[in-house]
Order: sequence, then C-alpha cells, then structure tokens
Amino acid sequence: MLLTQNAIEFINDNLAIIAPLLIIQVVLMITALVSLIRAEATKGPKWMWALIILFINTIGPIAYFIFGRSQE
Amino acid sequence: MQWLTIYKKECLESARNYRWVWVPLVFILFCIMDPLTTYYLPQILESTGGLPDGATFNIPTPPAPNVFMMSISQINTLGVLVIALITMGTIAGERKSGVAELILVKPVSYSAYVTAKWAAHVSLVLLSVFVGLIASWYYVQLLFGDVSFIHVMSSVAFYVLYIIFVISISLFMNTWTKIPGLVLFLTISVILVLNLITSIFSHLLEWSPTSIVSHLPALLRSGEVGQNLWMAGLITILSIIFLLFGAIQTLKRREIV
Repeated sequence: MLLTQNAIEFINDNLAIIAPLLIIQVVLMITALVSLIRAEATKGPKWMWALIILFINTIGPIAYFIFGRSQE
Repeated sequence: MQWLTIYKKECLESARNYRWVWVPLVFILFCIMDPLTTYYLPQILESTGGLPDGATFNIPTPPAPNVFMMSISQINTLGVLVIALITMGTIAGERKSGVAELILVKPVSYSAYVTAKWAAHVSLVLLSVFVGLIASWYYVQLLFGDVSFIHVMSSVAFYVLYIIFVISISLFMNTWTKIPGLVLFLTISVILVLNLITSIFSHLLEWSPTSIVSHLPALLRSGEVGQNLWMAGLITILSIIFLLFGAIQTLKRREIV
C-alpha cells in the first residue's frame, strides 16, 4: 500500500519528464499493430506477432518491423 | 531524372514499410533512455533495494557532455545494428528476387541505381539520428545542465559522417552477395574489426573513421575542432566516395557475368 502510494506520488512528480518516453512507446506499438492488421501476409502467424508487439516492450515492435513483414 | 525516380521509389518503399515512422521513434528511444536512467539511478537503486541497510553510497551526477556522449555510444551499438538491419536487403534482396534485373534492363545506369538507393537510406537515417540526438540534448539540458547547442550541432555534424560511412559499407557489401543475412554479418564484422584496430593502434590511427567518436567529447566541451578530427572527417568522406565507387564497379561486373 505504502509502496503504491509512493509510486503514484513519484509518477505525479515526474510525469512531465517520463511522459514523452511512454508516448513514444505507445505510438510505436500502435504503428506496428496498424501495419500488422493491414498486412496481407506475415512471416509466421499474425496472432503470434500481435502478442509479441503487445507484450514485449520496444523490442517487440522493432522485431516485427524488421523480421515480420514478408516481401511479396 | 531517372536518379530522382529511383530515389522517390526508395522513399515510397520506406513509407510503405512504415520506416519513416518507426526508425525515428526507435532512435529517439535509444537516445533518451540513457539520460533518463542516469537521472533516476538513485530512485531505481532504492526501489530495487540493492543497497544494504546503513550503507551510504554517493552517486556523483555525471557532467552534461558525458551524458550526451552516452546517447551517442548507444547509437554506436544499437543504432548501427538497426541501420545494418534495414539496409541489408536493399540491393541484395532485389537481386535475389529479380527486381534489380527489371530495373536495370531499362536505361538506368548502375551509378544512378546505387547512389539513389544510398541517398534514400541516408536521408531516412540522418533524419532519425538528428531527431534522436536533439531529443537527447533536450533531456540533458533539462536534467543535467548546460551544453552549448552549437557544440552539440558541430559534434552531430561530424558524427553523422560516421553514420553515412556505415551505410556506405552496408551498400558496398550489398553488391557482393545476394544473401541479406550475409550482408548484415559482413557489415557488422567490418565495423567491429575497424573499431578494434582503431582502439589498439589509437596513437597511430587518429584519422580513422571510427576514431571520430573518440574525438567528440573534447569538441563537446570546448567547441574547438581539432586537426585530427578534421583529418578523420576528410578520410571518412574519401572512404564513402571510394566505397560507393567500389559498389558501382562490383555491381557492373556481377550483372554481366
């Protein structure tokens, strides 16, 4: 309880500094998802890439953009 | 005219692959990660409980130019890897799939084909490196103290030469083999070997392209461009021209055979 309160306080105090980092990560994730949905085919199943993009922070979207898109 | 067409085609391909979005974003992430973790290091240590009770440990705040150099060394490792990954298939992949033949049967010169591809990748990567380092400068300014914007810009100008050098190595390797993975391996190996040789013989090879990074801290602090840095920049530009010329010649010979 104490810990979460501290964490919330900490985030409130430093929001202006951390916000750009979070926004960039979210934008990267959304771009990767949009690209995944619009792609006709990917290397490997689509649901696998969706999980990778959603749950592996930063590295997931990069991995999808570099290795996931199939060159038809 | 045909040069511009290939250049536009490459930029369009980058846009279709969402590269104009994700490469700048990834470079911004690489660049701001280190200033942020350095700034929050005391809190991170506290929350992970790494220190025993009663232990006092003073973490000195590093000077602002050193923090900016952290961002540059981040680009030097992860950034260079990303650059090599996005350029590895640009000619090799097209030759493998036969697209290169489709383009080169038309009256397109080999030099236009190579330099237009090079220019398209250079524009994308330079934009990303520039945006990333500006973001890093902003955070350093905000969290650590003053670094002169002009000093930062002149360091970026020299560092960018090294990045173009990396792209040129990758394009040169692209003309040697049709396998993108091998291009990646060769590019990274050449850069690693160059780095190794330059750091072992650092007193002899002060003009090597990879030595540009080691000259940057002095430039950031004083703003003076030393003679060694000028020479390293010149050597880098010459190597870029040499690599592009080599790439065109290799491609010509490969296509005839």
